[in-house]
Amino acid sequence: MAESPRLTPVEYLDRFFDELREEVRSNPRLAARLVKALGGDVVFEDTAKADVANPYQLVASGSKARFLKVFSSLKLSQLRQVLKENNLATKVDMNGKNADQLVEMLYDRAASKVNERKSSVF
Amino acid sequence: MPATTAAIANLKGGVGKSTTTVMLADGLAHFYGMNVLVIDLDPQANSSQMLLTEQGVQAASDQGKGTHHLLGEFVAGRPAAAAPFIMPNAVSLEELRIAEENDERRGWISSLPAHPQLRLRELGLEEEWYSGRGTPTTLSEALTKYFREAIAPLLPLYDVILLDCPPHLSPLARAGLALADVFVTPTIADSVSTWGTKQFSDWVGKYIAPDLPRRNFVLITRFRDTKYARSVASNLREIYLKDRWFGPTIPESVHVLNAMDRAAPDSYNTFRGKYAGVTGDVRRLAERFTDFISQHTGATWQKVRD
Repeated sequence: MAESPRLTPVEYLDRFFDELREEVRSNPRLAARLVKALGGDVVFEDTAKADVANPYQLVASGSKARFLKVFSSLKLSQLRQVLKENNLATKVDMNGKNADQLVEMLYDRAASKVNERKSSVF
Repeated sequence: MPATTAAIANLKGGVGKSTTTVMLADGLAHFYGMNVLVIDLDPQANSSQMLLTEQGVQAASDQGKGTHHLLGEFVAGRPAAAAPFIMPNAVSLEELRIAEENDERRGWISSLPAHPQLRLRELGLEEEWYSGRGTPTTLSEALTKYFREAIAPLLPLYDVILLDCPPHLSPLARAGLALADVFVTPTIADSVSTWGTKQFSDWVGKYIAPDLPRRNFVLITRFRDTKYARSVASNLREIYLKDRWFGPTIPESVHVLNAMDRAAPDSYNTFRGKYAGVTGDVRRLAERFTDFISQHTGATWQKVRD
């Protein structure tokens, strides 16, 4: 990692943060994870929504309006990707459905899972 | 400061309860010099096997040591005392063996082991208890009282007592949960374990610890770094168990699984040799858990190794 023994500690850290900054720019999933780990709220860019948006967390946040705002703007292929990657639908389930129907399916199924898995005591 | 009693428990099997128990015992003893007592309440006796070997578990039983023998004392109506049933040396780490030889009395691991006979003995007790007017709840309460008295004299001798609990709610298992100051919940980043963790959380919250969230330390174990597993882990932290303490995520390690199979009762390994690629994770587990119990008890510990 260290290429030159003449670098100061600050220069080493600058290099590290430069690398991190580059990775965050090119990897929206990592960026979202880092921002969340720091306690921040992730703002979804259109191009990154399908990669970053987590339907379970958006449902759990309690706002269906926000959920619809994030997912209604996705293309059909992106919605299919989100449903599949989150184990919320199979290809069979999605066949013949339009984008609106997929968004409804996404919300209903994510909400159902969250309700089943959340504690009923706490 | 009396020992903190931690139940390592989840109603879902196969989530790494016994491995977590041994990792915690090794990590706390190695990095903080804590004296740790492991009480195995699971008749599968996996953590006992990892600490003592199969041969050691059988030898302990033959010498009258183990939770099944202590349960026999309860059945016989004898006074409650756990000390005679403990194997005082269950250290498998070379670094801690040296400490023991120097009699520093820091970093000791003792075992009150289980044996497969434990479940048979408990079943016999249940049959007898229920044939009168007893119920599972009254038996659980009687066992809680007995085991609490049995370990009370040991509390000043240890820093931490780890109760390795079985993945069910038998009267003895319930007694183990009732004895705990804090609860360590290992889980896996998959859907069935997530649901199992909810069942555990709901049951313990309702019947044992209404303040469970502040007493609950959650550990995601056997982690395989896939997109799906990352998503489930994130949902556990941010939705389902967002009010709990989380330890470091422990990666799945074939090496550790193998290393938990201790070669012989007189076989020792170095910490790094035992934990290899997850050495740093086990160190962070010890650090994070120590922070957790410090917050809970007000006690503080200094590291004796880095």
